[in-house]
Amino acid sequence: MTLNQRQLVDNDRSRFDFKDEIVYLTETKRGLTRATVEEISALKAEPEWMLEFRLRAYEHFLKRPMPMWTDGLDRIDFDKIIYYRKPSEREEKSWDDVPEQIKATFERLGIPEAERQFLAGVGAQYDSEVVYHSVKEELSKLGVVFMGTDQALIEYPEIVKKYFGTVVPPEDNKFAALNSAVWSGGSFVYVPKGVEVPLPLQAYFRINGENTGQFERTLIVVDEGAKVHYIEGCTAPIYATDSLHAAVVEVIALPGSKVRYTTIQNWSNDVYNLVTKRAHAYEDSTVEWIDANTGSRKTVKFPSIYLRGRGATADIISVAVAGKGQHQDTGAKAIHLAPDTKSRIVSKSVSKDGGRATYRGHLKVSPGATNVVASVRCDALMLDDESRSDTYPYIDIAEDDTSMSHEATVGKISQDQVFYLMSRGLSENEAQNLIVQGFLEVFTKELPMEYAIEFNRLVKLEMEGALG
Amino acid sequence: MTDALKLAFAGEEIARHLAATFEEPDWLLEERLDAYRRYAELPPETNQLFTTYLDLRAARFAEIEPYKVTGDTTDPSSRPPPGSEALLHVEEDRIVARALSEEARAAGVIVDTFANVLRHSPELLRSLIEGGASLPENDKFAQFARAHAAIGVVVHVPGGVELVRPIVLRWSIGAAGRGLTSRTVISIGDNASASILEEQLSSVAADGPQSLWWGTSEVVLGDGARLSFAAEQDFGPNTLMFVNRQATLGRDAQLQWALASVGSQLQRSRIDNRLVGRGASVQQAEIGFGGGSQLFDLTSYTRHVGQDTTGDLLSKGVFTDRARGFFKGMIDIERSARGTDSFLGEFAMLLSKKARSVAVPSLEIDQPDVRRAAHSSSVGPIDETQVFYLMSRGLPQDLARKYIVLGFLEPVVARIPLPEAQDRLRQLLDAKWPRTAEPTAA
Repeated sequence: MTLNQRQLVDNDRSRFDFKDEIVYLTETKRGLTRATVEEISALKAEPEWMLEFRLRAYEHFLKRPMPMWTDGLDRIDFDKIIYYRKPSEREEKSWDDVPEQIKATFERLGIPEAERQFLAGVGAQYDSEVVYHSVKEELSKLGVVFMGTDQALIEYPEIVKKYFGTVVPPEDNKFAALNSAVWSGGSFVYVPKGVEVPLPLQAYFRINGENTGQFERTLIVVDEGAKVHYIEGCTAPIYATDSLHAAVVEVIALPGSKVRYTTIQNWSNDVYNLVTKRAHAYEDSTVEWIDANTGSRKTVKFPSIYLRGRGATADIISVAVAGKGQHQDTGAKAIHLAPDTKSRIVSKSVSKDGGRATYRGHLKVSPGATNVVASVRCDALMLDDESRSDTYPYIDIAEDDTSMSHEATVGKISQDQVFYLMSRGLSENEAQNLIVQGFLEVFTKELPMEYAIEFNRLVKLEMEGALG
Repeated sequence: MTDALKLAFAGEEIARHLAATFEEPDWLLEERLDAYRRYAELPPETNQLFTTYLDLRAARFAEIEPYKVTGDTTDPSSRPPPGSEALLHVEEDRIVARALSEEARAAGVIVDTFANVLRHSPELLRSLIEGGASLPENDKFAQFARAHAAIGVVVHVPGGVELVRPIVLRWSIGAAGRGLTSRTVISIGDNASASILEEQLSSVAADGPQSLWWGTSEVVLGDGARLSFAAEQDFGPNTLMFVNRQATLGRDAQLQWALASVGSQLQRSRIDNRLVGRGASVQQAEIGFGGGSQLFDLTSYTRHVGQDTTGDLLSKGVFTDRARGFFKGMIDIERSARGTDSFLGEFAMLLSKKARSVAVPSLEIDQPDVRRAAHSSSVGPIDETQVFYLMSRGLPQDLARKYIVLGFLEPVVARIPLPEAQDRLRQLLDAKWPRTAEPTAA
């Protein structure tokens, strides 16, 4: 790599590492009590049912033991976390109304550029509240709703009440319970019957502020025959102490609909990223999770799809890059509950500089789910001796006409390939970088172009110094 | 600590009583007490990955009373059955036959009980089992056997001795409400080679209370040693079976497991392969054919420690009626294990709506410098194109389906050392084919 390229890369890195001084207008005290939950609900002037939902979740959170199947979560100190911050008073409709400092932050994150290009709509979460939203006019005319979940609770109470917490109930796991108790922000998307959203909906999330927990709650309802692609990308400033991000994403794909949800997760290396993402796929619908994790100290995330209607299809691509000090505990779940359903899971992981990449997956074919076709493929690349790779797939089949195949391989970069590329004039680092990019291409090729470029740049950054 | 299994027949007093009955030396009593302490503290499953897939509901331990006294034959023989090198046959609570060929005896081969070995060469047994390293320390079931064994078997083949014919270990169990806990310790010296056939048979067709066989295979292979170990499990439908098999392999040692499970109500098996010496290799083939409400819970761990070791593991299951198979596998490649080649395959065929198969083929890899680290798994019905092909050659449909299933299991059958045992296994598998599906006309 030439000096200029290296400088370019270094400059790029700084783009993600900054912290703004913000005066928080409202924030709860550190730590979590019943009063914190009530305070959050009161600040938002929520309906009674939501307060009850939060309290039910809070009670469950207290009772539920910390999961023991993955390690390191006991380092999270729930008493040190601020559960709610509100950086500006109300949701902004126009870019001009967004406070200057927040605007400057987003400027550096590239949101306006992205919008200028081909955004269908932008929702940007700054800490706990959605501060900026714009949905292009034609989409509004089509009846597509894209706004903060808090706002949706006010404007579309029936839809929210009908679906909220039905895909991921608070009792699902400890962190879903925590999110349900203190959730704030996140996106709400509703696509009416038969409407195809022509361009991806995008949202950027950021954590700002030391010890800020971020608990966004995203709910996507895609009505019969409708189609949507939702993209989220994350960056966060780097701090010395741990931040916690515990999100819940619920997707409801009604009959005949098609939903794709793409994530590029690049939290800074002090963030615990514990996310429950789940979709219900009804008759003849298709749900796709395209999920990449390059950042965070520890990510625990297994995008899942419950195939509830006959003929539904699930497609999950999960990619993880684990560098120094990182543990990517990621994977996928496909739960077949109806006949003639299909699922495909592809997982690719790279571990290096002592990082640990874990694939954890669950493929289940329940009684009654006849004629299922399912496949799982996991490949792992380890770049050095210090790193670690684990594969933990669960395959539970209870129907005799299921066709299921599963394959996994783990290995290092082929020296033959490196040698070949070097013989064509590439440096060793460039050769390795190219091979890793090729290994991850199954993911990259599913991204819109600017995201693919950004993702490849991220991989390149990660590959920096991979060679001793 | 309370015992999660709530076994009335487990206890420190029982372990002491067994040691006293068999007049065991102090070090062996200490072994039992150490095992009991571990047993009492361990949960039934220590591996968080597998806790959801342990199902002991079919076991009615309360109605079983294991034997506390066992007897030996008064008439050991020097003429094992034709084709074999040695035979040790345990029926219920006693050894009914014990035979070792003249030449094997002359070469220093031992196939005998703990009690006799303690009399003649106590240091041999002590060096093999003291400290508990021959069984997994984190496995409750293994520690139960270590604490409560009412009979112990030693198979010892000294360095350099090559046995051509197999050693047969036969267990006949099935008396209602009774059970046998045992340990089998196998040591194959440097550059020695041997084959073992273990047969588990039903002694009586019993109704009523369940019966139990609880045992081990604790294998140590010296440098360059070779062992082929085959097992046929055909206990009655009212029998519970718990088995731990652990092997530690020295430099360039080779081990072959060929394990077939047909009988029992519930079989819980855990295999630990420990590839310690450079160039050691294990080849493991395991099959289960389940019907009725049978459950085969088959776990295998392969730990690569030395350089250039090879693991090749294949598990296959066929399940009909409400039968279930849990295949839990773990390949662990330690940082020291450069040049590992490891493969784990778990394949199942489901023949009925209510049958179920679970596979958890996991990998934990700390060393990327591998020749291969992979697993593969599939579940599917009988391939109808294969059925069609056989039918086009004149076979009736049901026979075609049966042959495809038997062909699926054949790779393990072919590895059974004695031709008679091989034929018997084929018959067992054949008989397992659902009766209702038999062709009505010839």
